Amino acid sequence: MNYKGWLLPPALRDFHEGRIWLKEHTPFAKYDIEQAINRKYFYIIDGIQKIPRVRCNRCYNDNLHDFTEYDCSKCLQKCVYCRHCLKMGRVSTCTPLLIWKGPKACRIKQHPLQWTGQLTAQQQRAANELLESVIAGKSHLLNAVCGAGKTELLFQSVHYALEKGLRVCIAAPRADVVLELFPRFQKAFPQTLIHAYYSGAPKQHGYAQLILATTHQLYRFEQAFDVMMVDEADAFPYSFDATLERAVQKAKTSDAPIYFITATPSQTLINQYKDSYSFIPNRYHHKPLPVPYFCSLWGYEKSIKRGKLPRKLKAWTEERLAKNEPFLIFFPTVELLNLAIPLFQRIHANILAVHATDPERKHKVLQLRDEKIPGLLTTTILERGITIKNVQVAVVGAESTIFTASALIQIAGRVGRHASYTNGEVVLFHHGVTLAMDEARQNILANNKEGSNDE
Amino acid sequence: MNKTDKFCLLCAQPLHFAPSWQTLLLRCFPPCICEKCKGQFVRSTSATALYQYNDAMKAYLHQYKFLQDVALAKVFRQELHAQFKQEKAIIIPIPMHPMKQKERTFSHTEELLKAANISFTQLLEKVTVETQSSKNREQRIQSAPLFRLMPEAQVQHKDYLLFDDIKTTGTTLRHAKQVLLEAGARNVRTFTLING
Ligand SMILES: [Zn+2]
Ligand SMILES: [Zn+2]
Ligand SMILES: [Zn+2]
Repeated sequence: MNYKGWLLPPALRDFHEGRIWLKEHTPFAKYDIEQAINRKYFYIIDGIQKIPRVRCNRCYNDNLHDFTEYDCSKCLQKCVYCRHCLKMGRVSTCTPLLIWKGPKACRIKQHPLQWTGQLTAQQQRAANELLESVIAGKSHLLNAVCGAGKTELLFQSVHYALEKGLRVCIAAPRADVVLELFPRFQKAFPQTLIHAYYSGAPKQHGYAQLILATTHQLYRFEQAFDVMMVDEADAFPYSFDATLERAVQKAKTSDAPIYFITATPSQTLINQYKDSYSFIPNRYHHKPLPVPYFCSLWGYEKSIKRGKLPRKLKAWTEERLAKNEPFLIFFPTVELLNLAIPLFQRIHANILAVHATDPERKHKVLQLRDEKIPGLLTTTILERGITIKNVQVAVVGAESTIFTASALIQIAGRVGRHASYTNGEVVLFHHGVTLAMDEARQNILANNKEGSNDE
Repeated sequence: MNKTDKFCLLCAQPLHFAPSWQTLLLRCFPPCICEKCKGQFVRSTSATALYQYNDAMKAYLHQYKFLQDVALAKVFRQELHAQFKQEKAIIIPIPMHPMKQKERTFSHTEELLKAANISFTQLLEKVTVETQSSKNREQRIQSAPLFRLMPEAQVQHKDYLLFDDIKTTGTTLRHAKQVLLEAGARNVRTFTLING
């Protein structure tokens, strides 16, 4: 075969650099892929590694329950495939994965930053500390309370890294966070090609030096990023699990630093990053975070199942309606939410319910923001780009295990974001106070104290 | 791998299952999906199908066939087993074209039966690669033979039962039936998992 006359299509290189991709699913012509393989532009690895233990080489899943063995009609052997990352295209023993090692894509060093906003003194200090870490190439933890304005803090550091010719990734746990960050970064870096990856994202062309992605999408990258930023903000009900942590490790180059941005860092994380740690205890408007209070709601589940709204919950809702205050009520499960919604609609017909995978989710939240409906029942944190003026929050069943301390802190963080309504109710209705509830309250009190010392 | 499932194969919720005398004595299969997912499938009123086609079934077929999640062959094993365990006729799963099967890496009809522990024979082979759904109704009815006998296949003067995953117009099953009848089968019945 003649490969002398073959020229590497730049698009092929731009796509495959930094990615780990199923050979069968590459979007390029078979001929070009074969030529590139012949020139050793790719590492080819098994989809599933068997030694020393079974592991998926794309998502690093090694939990035996997530693998299935079957008689394969393609390789005519017993084949194993990974169910953990199935939806990205099945990886099995006989599906090789391609990793680019050919000529590098061209990186650009001009990435003008067009952002004219103002940082508060606290934000500026944290932004400077973060930048110092980026310059020094060391990892950093940015702990900023909900509503501190974290995105703007990143611009300087991202700008520095891009102009150094580094490839930068900002990973977030949810698609809606990626979708919200995307236009803000496009506006700040108008001349930079930015790609946004989430499940169902459209095809994007060229070589992007800045990538915004859901943590899940990181499975598709390998040794790609020189700078890895992980925005854990408002992760509830998702949290950063071990597989996702491995995805972050795999997607970055081995010595790339990690910048972790969170409102609710675990103690382990704080210990891990104690040398390079920034803390913003205040919201951008400098008012303290609303402190949750506890209210017992014994047997609320039974009561709702019997079709009766607990008295205190009913009273709280009626008070919001009387005062014309928009409200959010969090429920631990979709089942309970579904049982509760007709009971609430008896008080006011326009109260709506929304859950994590509700396709109308965004629309319903906008209706609440635009004061078209008085309140929403929900099982999940709502779109964080949307600030609901004067919103009041209740959690029903705050003792449920799904409401971890960090989830409760994030929920409380929904309240008082607007500069003209910096206060509001956060009530935790419970069937017994848990450690997590206590921890959340203590944490907010401590942050507020630190914030006021800082003034 | 391939043992008792601890999580629902469809929604990944933990399965709470304690082996009971029923599963042990009556040799039931342990559950592999949760009650909630199970409740989304609707039984068919037809005597020749187990389930109705609905959104849950659509999602199931997508994951099983398109995303190639072979593990899902187990989802209906209990029901398929109950349906076929007393079957006297020789069961023949509708075959895929060899090229298609290599592409999908498994035959979805055979895997359903295997998972249900039902023995079957294969006498037919698919001769066309196009799918039925890519043709319009008229083309489907008039199309050339879809199946032929496998070389050296022996069709006896016996009862046969053709099994497919889903019946939409019935063309596929009718073609297969005709081949068997012409080759000397005494009687050919059909059965599908889903009534389209
Ligand atoms: Zn995997
Ligand atoms: Zn194989
Ligand atoms: Zn399930």
